Amino acid sequence: MSQLTLLVLQIGFLLLMWVFVFAIVYALRSDLFGQRVRKLQPDAAQAGAPAASGFPSSPITPGGGTRKPAPAPAPANGEIASAQNARTLVITSGPKAGAEFPLGRDEITIGRSADSAIIIRDDYTSTHHARLMLWNDRWMIQDLDSTNGTFLDGSRVSVPTPIPLGVPVKVGATTFELRR
Amino acid sequence: MTEPTASIASGSPSSSGSPSSSRGARRAARAAGEPTPPSGIRRIRLPQKLRNLELALLLFACVINAGAIVLVQLGALGAIDTQLILLGAGLSALVLALHISMRFVARDADPFLLPIATLLNGIGIAMIYRIDIAEGDTGWDSAAVRQIVWSAIAIVCAIATILVIRNHRVLFKYTYLSGLVAIVLLLLPLVPGLGDDHDGAQVWISIAGVMNFQPGEIAKIALAVFFAGYLVRNRDSLSMVGRTFLGMRFPRARDLGPLLVVWALSMAVIVFQRDLGTALLYFGLFLVMLYVATGRLSWIVLGLSMFLAGALIASQVLEYVGNRFANWLNPFDPARYEAEVGGSYQLVQGLFGLSNGGLIGTGWGQGRPDITPVPQSDYIIASLGEELGLAGIFAILALYLLFVSRGFRIGFAGQDDFGKLLGVGLSFVVALQVFIVVGGVMRVIPLTGLTTPFLAAGGSSLVANWIIVALLLRLSDTVRNHPRLVIDG
Repeated sequence: MSQLTLLVLQIGFLLLMWVFVFAIVYALRSDLFGQRVRKLQPDAAQAGAPAASGFPSSPITPGGGTRKPAPAPAPANGEIASAQNARTLVITSGPKAGAEFPLGRDEITIGRSADSAIIIRDDYTSTHHARLMLWNDRWMIQDLDSTNGTFLDGSRVSVPTPIPLGVPVKVGATTFELRR
Repeated sequence: MTEPTASIASGSPSSSGSPSSSRGARRAARAAGEPTPPSGIRRIRLPQKLRNLELALLLFACVINAGAIVLVQLGALGAIDTQLILLGAGLSALVLALHISMRFVARDADPFLLPIATLLNGIGIAMIYRIDIAEGDTGWDSAAVRQIVWSAIAIVCAIATILVIRNHRVLFKYTYLSGLVAIVLLLLPLVPGLGDDHDGAQVWISIAGVMNFQPGEIAKIALAVFFAGYLVRNRDSLSMVGRTFLGMRFPRARDLGPLLVVWALSMAVIVFQRDLGTALLYFGLFLVMLYVATGRLSWIVLGLSMFLAGALIASQVLEYVGNRFANWLNPFDPARYEAEVGGSYQLVQGLFGLSNGGLIGTGWGQGRPDITPVPQSDYIIASLGEELGLAGIFAILALYLLFVSRGFRIGFAGQDDFGKLLGVGLSFVVALQVFIVVGGVMRVIPLTGLTTPFLAAGGSSLVANWIIVALLLRLSDTVRNHPRLVIDG
C-alpha cells in the first residue's frame, strides 16, 4: 500500500466524518435557523389583518376553519384562570378558529418550532414565541422575547401575567382564550 | 403501515448481524414507497419519519466505523484482517437492534443521539485497536476486543433501559433512593477488599479480580436523577428568598445547606479517592442544575469560588494535586519532565503527539501514539489528534457539540420541570466530562483522569454513557408525545 493511496484514503475518511457532521446539521437546520415561513394564503392573510392591528377581534373569522367557533361564554368578571376553573384553550380567530386544546397541568409552549405544544406557522410567530404555565395554580402567559409580541387583551405582555378567563390572547395571527 | 409480529422477536438484542441490515434496507424502501394498504392488521401506523432519518444516519455511522478499522489495518498492518471487522459488524447489529426496539417503544425519540454515539464509540474502538497493534496485544489481552464486548454490554443496558423505563416521571418517585445509590456507589471503592488502587486514584472496584469497574461513572446518572428530583421539590426556597448584594440576590445562610453538602462530598472525593476530575464533575453538575432550577447567578458565583478555594488549598496540602498544578503551569521544565512520580512526561508526550498530527494527521496506523502512557484511555484524544489531525479532532468535538445541544434541546422542550432538569443535567455531565478531559490533555486546565465519553477504553464509562443516551431518548420521546395543535398560516 503506497503512501499516496493511504494519504488519499485518510483525506477521504476525514471528509466522510465531516459529511456526517453536516448531514446532522442539515437535518436539524429547522432547529438552528427556525422553521421556514410559508407564504400567507389569502384567507389566512385576512385572518391576520385584523389581528395584526392590535385589536383581538371577536370570534367571527370564518378563516380556513370548517366549523364556526362557539360563541364565547365571556365571563366579564375577569376571574383569573386557574388549574381548577379552566379546562380548555379555544382558538377564537385565525386559520384554525374553533379548535380546542385541553389544559392539563403541564406548561404549553407556543411557537413555530416543531417541538412546541401549539405550533403556529405564520409570518408573525417566532420560533419560541410564548408559553403558558401554572404558577401557584394560576395560568400565566409569558412572552419568550418574541419579535412581534404576545398580547393579552390588546396590551403587550412583558412580564409573566395571569390570564383571566375568556380574555383573548394574541400570538401572531392567532387569538385564543381560556375557558371552563 | 404495519409491522409483522415476527420482527418484534428478532428486534430483541439476541438478533444476529445479517437479518437486521437486510430488514433495515427493507424499512428504508418501505419508507420511500407508498403506504401499504392494511391487510388483516391490528393497527395502522404513520410512516416513522424520525426513525427512518435515524436509520439512514446510523447506517452512515456504521460505514464510517468499518472504514476506520479497515484504514487502521491498512496503515498499521498493510493487509485486511476480517476477524475484528466481523466483531465490529456484530456491534452494528446491536445498535440496529436498539434502533428497532425504539421503533416500537420510543417512536418519537430524537433521531440524532444514537448515530452520534455509535460513531464516537466506533472511532474509539478503531483507535484502541490501533494501539493494540502497536503494543502487540491480541486475543483477550487486546483492549479493543474487551472494548467491543463492553460496548455490547452497554448497548444491551441501553435497550433494557428504554424498554423498562416507559416514562421518565417514574424516576421522580425514586429521587431519594437514587441519591442513596449514588452515595453507596461512591463509597464502594473505599471498602477494603473490594477497592482496587489503580494509578493512585481509589475509584475502581475489582469483582473477583477479573472485572474492573468504576462505580463513580454510574453514580453520575444517579446523582443527576437525585439533583433533578430534589431541586424540583425544593427550588422555591432556594430561589425566592435572600438579599441583594452587588446586583445579585444571594441566598440566605440556612439555604446554603445543599450546596455545602455537595461541596463537602466533592472535597471528600479529592481527599479520599484522590480523584480531582470526578469531584469537579459532580460539583459542576450540581451547580449547573441548581442554576437552571433557580435562575440565579449567585449560586454559580458562590459555588465556583468555593470549589476554587478548595482546589487551591488541596493543591497546597495534597501532593498529587500540587503535582497536577505544577505540570499544568510548567510542563516543559526538565525537572518536571523527568520526575519519576507525578511528572509531566505523559502530558508533554501528548502535546508532542498532537503537534505531530498537524492539520490532517499522520493517518490511521501511521503515527506513534503508543509513546504516550495510557494512549487508549485517558489520552485517546491525543492519540486521535495525532492520527486524524486538527480536522479529525474538530469533527469529533463537533459530534460532542451536536450531542450535547440535542440534549439541551430535549431539556428545553420538556413539558415538566423534572424532565427539563434531568435532560439538561444528563447532557451537561457529558459536556463537562469532555471539557475536563480534553482541556486537561490540551493544557487548558490541570490534567485530571476522567474517561472521554464513548471514545476511551473503559467499560463502566461506556455503560454509563449509553444509559445516558437511552434516558435522553426516552425523555425526547415523552416530550413529543404530548397533545399538540398545529396551526398553519
